[in-house]
Order: sequence, then structure tokens, then C-alpha cells
Amino acid sequence: MAVQGIWSGTISFSLVAIPVRLVTAIEPGRVSFRLLHNKDYSPLARRMFCPKEETKVPRDEIIRGYEIAPDQYILMTDEELESVSPERSRTIEIVEFIDMKEVDPIYYDHPYYLVPSKGGEKAYRLLVEVMRRTNKAGLAKFVLAEREYLVAVTPRDGALALTTLHYSEEILPDEGLSPKKGKIAAEEENRIKKSVKQMIEDFDPGKYANERRKRVMDLLAAKAKEKAPVEAPAVEEEEGEGPVDLVAALEEGMRKVKENR
Amino acid sequence: MSRTFVEMAGRRLSLSNLEKDLYPSYRFTKAHILEYYRRIAPFILPHLKDRALTLKRYPEGVEEDFFFEKRCPSHRPAWVKTAEIPQEDGERMTVCLVNDLDTLIWAENLASVELHVPLARASSPETADSMVFDLDPGDPAGLLECARVALILRDLLSRMGLASYVKTSGKKGLHVYVPLNREETTFGDTKTFSKAVAAIMQKHYPDLVTAKMAKKERNAKVFINWSQNDASKTMVCVYSLRAREKPFVSFPLEWRELENLAGRGDSEKLQVVHSEAVSRAEKKGDLFREVLVKEQKLPHL
Repeated sequence: MAVQGIWSGTISFSLVAIPVRLVTAIEPGRVSFRLLHNKDYSPLARRMFCPKEETKVPRDEIIRGYEIAPDQYILMTDEELESVSPERSRTIEIVEFIDMKEVDPIYYDHPYYLVPSKGGEKAYRLLVEVMRRTNKAGLAKFVLAEREYLVAVTPRDGALALTTLHYSEEILPDEGLSPKKGKIAAEEENRIKKSVKQMIEDFDPGKYANERRKRVMDLLAAKAKEKAPVEAPAVEEEEGEGPVDLVAALEEGMRKVKENR
Repeated sequence: MSRTFVEMAGRRLSLSNLEKDLYPSYRFTKAHILEYYRRIAPFILPHLKDRALTLKRYPEGVEEDFFFEKRCPSHRPAWVKTAEIPQEDGERMTVCLVNDLDTLIWAENLASVELHVPLARASSPETADSMVFDLDPGDPAGLLECARVALILRDLLSRMGLASYVKTSGKKGLHVYVPLNREETTFGDTKTFSKAVAAIMQKHYPDLVTAKMAKKERNAKVFINWSQNDASKTMVCVYSLRAREKPFVSFPLEWRELENLAGRGDSEKLQVVHSEAVSRAEKKGDLFREVLVKEQKLPHL
């Protein structure tokens, strides 16, 4: 596969280092809509707004603050934030091999594939095969887009999948969610067990399609046939010819152009 | 549906419906389209390379409905190179990169007669590596009026120290490109600059030029569309076919050539059809090469 990765580097453990690229494993099936102004169908834009001054705030007037109490902030500059960000890394260093069954699915964050880069195919195949036979997943830390992630690397159909995991401090406790323990009647338990058994199937995700997405797309296709789309008006930005220096230089240039014609 | 299998560089491609007439008024089939792109490939590929392709597909031919496809189809072969680009809603989208002949032929097999690309590479979507003036005539103005405007524009840009290059749109207008190829140039810069240029042109040639998009303003004038200088916009790629009654090509011209043809009032000669495009490119080389490499800085910003 010659897919351009979103990251490239090596995956390594002990003395082995395999060149790989990271590619995303899912394409969300969400149908996205633009928000329009109902008067003229202009697509709407997001702007930073100061509710106090009731005005748009330009980019160079925007800074970052961490709210420590209502209306009280500690300021942080981009440079300061960068100084504590992890350095970009070029390796996914496997630090432990674990049994994936021990990982509660609540920790799973985002799935990717690891694709071997040129020259790494053989070592890659070997790693996939060993992991498949031992039935183990590699646990690693790695930096992607200035964030350090804990990831699990697992074999999947002859390739490696990489799943970013949530840190344990991100998982909210489930205390107090389950109702108080009470006695369950054996008869009732048996009845429920029986209905569960009747519904047992092999997991086949292909059986379930995103019905809403399909219906939305069908409806859009039908509407597109029925009626021409509405059109956004031409963007006439605020008047003004541009920076003063530039306009003066263009006027001077234009004068000379006309002289020579 | 008929299928033909071809093998290129060890990759097997299945081509479908080669006999389908996609330009029915001109009897130009999908096989002709594939052959055109195969021969023009050495010239068009550098201009498509590493840019997020927008497919403009005409499955029933150029006289029927078309649709744009920005997302790289999920049924693409595994060897089609892709990139992830951020969209306005913050989601990321997978797009096709046409970096080799196989991918070009695969895209054409999808009846993507026209190939459109942004003025930026997929790896740096906010960097405008060229600035464009899209000259679009309003009836009854046509190519000749466009040529007049393009030549004035060239002179003005040259006074500003900027070299520019021109190609036909393959439809009714001309596209003037100013190569920049500097990492720090943003679409904000090219928009500000091109808008100011369009405003000055309108001010000095009010009967010939308008910088306003509204259709009624364009009557018999050439609209200088500066708003194409935007990260979300695409331009038809140089050497792409256009979907018209004839397979015209968006083709680069020498300024001298444009002067001569405009002087003679010969607007028909300004259009370049597929076969002529191949023979001229093979003879003269890529007249748009500089657009990809020449480094220029926009002054007074």
C-alpha cells in the first residue's frame, strides 16, 4: 500500500527497528452539512466575538488563559506551552508485551494501521507473525501532533493495527452507577439467560449499515434531481482597495503601463 | 459493461466502457480521453503532483450531468496515494494525489474529464504557491477582450516586479498565474494583492473590466475573479481537458503568441484542441514549468 501516512518513523523493541507509516483506519460516515444564512444562502463563518465590546476579535488580539476560578485566569503563551510539549519523535518504542484481552475496551481511543515503509517489509512480516503466534499486543508510548499517546500495537490480518489508548486518569469512575445489590430470583435469572442464549450470534459488523446516513444520502440525491441547488451569493468583501502602500504602487505602475501603450 | 485489463508497471488496471462516446458532438470516446491523458502525462503530472485532486466526473458524457468528488473514492486501489487534509468543519478528509501515470489513468477511467487542483500542496494547504487571476468574460465579451485584459495585467504585474504566465481556461476565458513558491505566502496575502490589482484595473478600464462577481456587472466586460485565491478553491489544472462540445484543453500560451492572435482578432485560434495540445507540448515543452518553481515575493504587503 502506497498510502501517504500521517506520520512516519520506526517501530522498535530491543534491537529491532522497522520503518513504518501510520495511516488512519476509519473514515467516519458522518454526513456533514454547511450552515447557511436563510436570507441569501451565504455559508456562515465562525468568528471570535467579544461579548463585552460586542465586536469581532482579530487573531493577533487573542491569547490563552487557564481558568483557575470563575473569571480568574493564569495566562500562558504559545512559547511556554511549547516548552513543555513532548518533542516530536520518530519512534514507536514498544516497552511491554501484554495480553490484549486484559485491556478494557473503555480504554480504546482511535484505530490506525501501521504500514511497512520501503526496506521494512521482511522484519514487519516477522513481527506480525510472532505477535500473532504469541497472541500478544505491544504497549508503546509515542508522540503525534505534540501529544504523547499510550498505544497498543496488535496483529490484524497479516498487518499491524495501532490503537491509541486513553490514560487511566481520563477514565471517569463508575462508582455509584450500579444499583445497590439485591437478591435475584433464580427463576428470573434462568428466564433471562434463556432469552440471551436464543439471541447468540457471531459478530458480523457487515450486517449493520449506517441506515441514517444511507437515508440522508438517498434523500439528498432525490432532492438534487427534483430541484436545482440554491446558490450562495458572490462574496463582496468590505470595500476598500487594499493596503495604502500597495495601492499607491499599483497606481504608479498603472500610470507607466498606460504611458507605454 | 465492457472491461479491458491493462498492466502498467506491474499494476493491473481494469478499464471500463472504453467505447463510450463522452463528447458525443465530436465523437470522442473514453478511449480517446485515456489516450490524451497518457500522452500529455509528462506535462500534466508535475502540475497535479502532491495536490488534493477534485474529480469532475461526467459518467454519461460532457453533455449530461456531472458531479464533483473531493473525497478520494473508498473503492480506490491500494496504490493510489492519498493525503489527509483538514476541512472547514475541522474534520479531516482523505483526498487523492495524482503523482504517477497509473493514478492518472485510474482517475480518467472514472470519467473525470476535468482535473481541478488547489493553488497549494496537500502538505501545506495554507501556503499559496501561486496567485491567479481568473478572467471570465460576460457576453458579448469573449476571448479577445480577455486577451486585452490579460496583456494589461501582465504589464502591470511586470511593473510590480512580478513575472506572470497565461493559459486558456479551455472554456471562455484566460487564467493568468503569478508563481510565488515561498513558504511564507498565505492565501490572505494573495487575496489582498489580487483584489487590489483587480480594483485598480476596474478603476482604469471601467468599460472593459469589472472586479465584481455579480452577473449583471459582468455584462460585456471581463470579470477579474481574484477570489479564486483561497485555500478552499480549486482551478482547472493546466493541460486538463474541458467538458465542452469539443475536447478543448486548458493550455499555456506564450505572451507573444497571445499578442499576435489578439492583434489579428482571431479568437478561434486561441482555443487549443486535444491533438494540438499534445503536439505543441511535445514540441515546445512545458510553458508552465516556471509556475511550479519560480520564487517571487509579493511587494508592498
